[in-house]
Amino acid sequence: MFPSVGQLFPPNSDIGMVMQMLFSLTFIIYLFYAQRIQSMTMLRQIEGTLRKVKAIRDEGRSISIQTINEIGKPTSDPTPDVERFLEHFLIPPVSLDPAGIVGKLEQLLDVRENKFEAEVRAMAPSASDSDVNNLENLLEAALALNIYYKVIRHFYLLGKKTMNIYVIMQIHMILPMIMREIKAFSAALQAFKEGMPIGDGVGALTAAKLMHGHPWKEVGKDMVAAQVPMSGRTLVVMKARGPGGNVGKPGKAIQNVLNEWKGRVTAIIMIDAAGKLEGEPTGDIAEGVGAAIGGAGVQKFMIEEAAKAHDVPLYAVAIKEDISHVVAPMEEVLFDAADKALETVRRLIEEWTEEDDVVVIAGIGNTVGIAQ
Amino acid sequence: MDGMGEKGGAGYPGLSLSWTTLIVVVVIGVFSIFSLYMGFQAYGSERPEQANYYIIIGTTGFAVMGYMFFRARALTSTRLEVPRVYVITTLECPQCGLKRIREFTRGDYVFKDDEPCTRCEGAMTINRIHRREEEKAKR
Repeated sequence: MFPSVGQLFPPNSDIGMVMQMLFSLTFIIYLFYAQRIQSMTMLRQIEGTLRKVKAIRDEGRSISIQTINEIGKPTSDPTPDVERFLEHFLIPPVSLDPAGIVGKLEQLLDVRENKFEAEVRAMAPSASDSDVNNLENLLEAALALNIYYKVIRHFYLLGKKTMNIYVIMQIHMILPMIMREIKAFSAALQAFKEGMPIGDGVGALTAAKLMHGHPWKEVGKDMVAAQVPMSGRTLVVMKARGPGGNVGKPGKAIQNVLNEWKGRVTAIIMIDAAGKLEGEPTGDIAEGVGAAIGGAGVQKFMIEEAAKAHDVPLYAVAIKEDISHVVAPMEEVLFDAADKALETVRRLIEEWTEEDDVVVIAGIGNTVGIAQ
Repeated sequence: MDGMGEKGGAGYPGLSLSWTTLIVVVVIGVFSIFSLYMGFQAYGSERPEQANYYIIIGTTGFAVMGYMFFRARALTSTRLEVPRVYVITTLECPQCGLKRIREFTRGDYVFKDDEPCTRCEGAMTINRIHRREEEKAKR
């Protein structure tokens, strides 16, 4: 084959010489500039992604402003306040001496939460409590999109400035994963704008199905609980107070309930949405042990501490979902998964507790669009 | 990248071929067609060796053009809009069991006592809010 291909470019003809020179030149250029060409190709791909992210970020900002105007009826233009909100940051506590860091982080998160709430109330004076929660969540989604955009832009511009392939590769390698997260947050804009249940709320939905129709009371900040009789046991079912977008403080609530029932609680069952691995079906139920709760870790720490102090076993029911479902309007399969999770909870109660026991059931997650 | 500065604005997706790229594509296109024409002429004149060169150059030119279009299209198709999904609310009358499905409206939430039942005296309760299943298939 090679001799016949070689016949196409006999070096003794003029055009053959030209072709050979061209090939040699290309080879030499590629030898020295291969990395630069690769960098340019990657930069171009990052640029395309950055354009998309910018469009989504801008959309998030304009949806936030539009919703504040619609719901909050502000007396002045909220745009400067929204822009200031989107640049908000939190400096985590120093971890050189980690003892007591959870308390420090909890305090910082509380300050942040109170500040956000006060700012949203100031921006939207006519909004109800539920609307304020939803607006807060909406602005937080827009804030996350703004941060994603700025980080990608930082690496893009730095890569372009230095033309260093390793700087460019850092962002290029993780772009597909980042884009999945950005798409998830962009789906959250519609959910929080309208107050629709989201995928993360499937744990709260399960608890709501269990406690609906029973009288409930506050058991902690933004947390409600109801006593539900089941198979001779008393269930203390809790979730964040809905229907506004809210995750509550389940750590403190569980501590309060354990203290209130003074040694009578024999099990804590936590239900939460959990990230699924590729290949696992959405809405699948898995059970395990431990505190099923995400976030910064403060609430998880408090639940573990309380469970240890009262010597109560922690059981976990996880409802599998993809990152794209977490903050997007709830899929039907996830809504139905709440019933399957309830069945698992019933079985756990019958297998691991006895009659007259008190069992704490905690539905974890953002309760937007879900009452109790 | 133009327009990616904070104050720069613009820089939106929808970018197709820039003028420079377009001129380059047109020039390559003209030369490729000319080269292919010369190639066929050379075949006709029984100069197959020369014809091969012309045809190789012509087809390479078309391949380069295709690649440039492909890249530009890839950039254009990167336009990503904020997804908007169709969410439905299911209401059920706890007394007579009448069900009604409608589009979600702001203010709906699960377990809300909503509109009066059209069959009995009771109030219909929202018991399901989720995305419509077809949404998934469409995507």
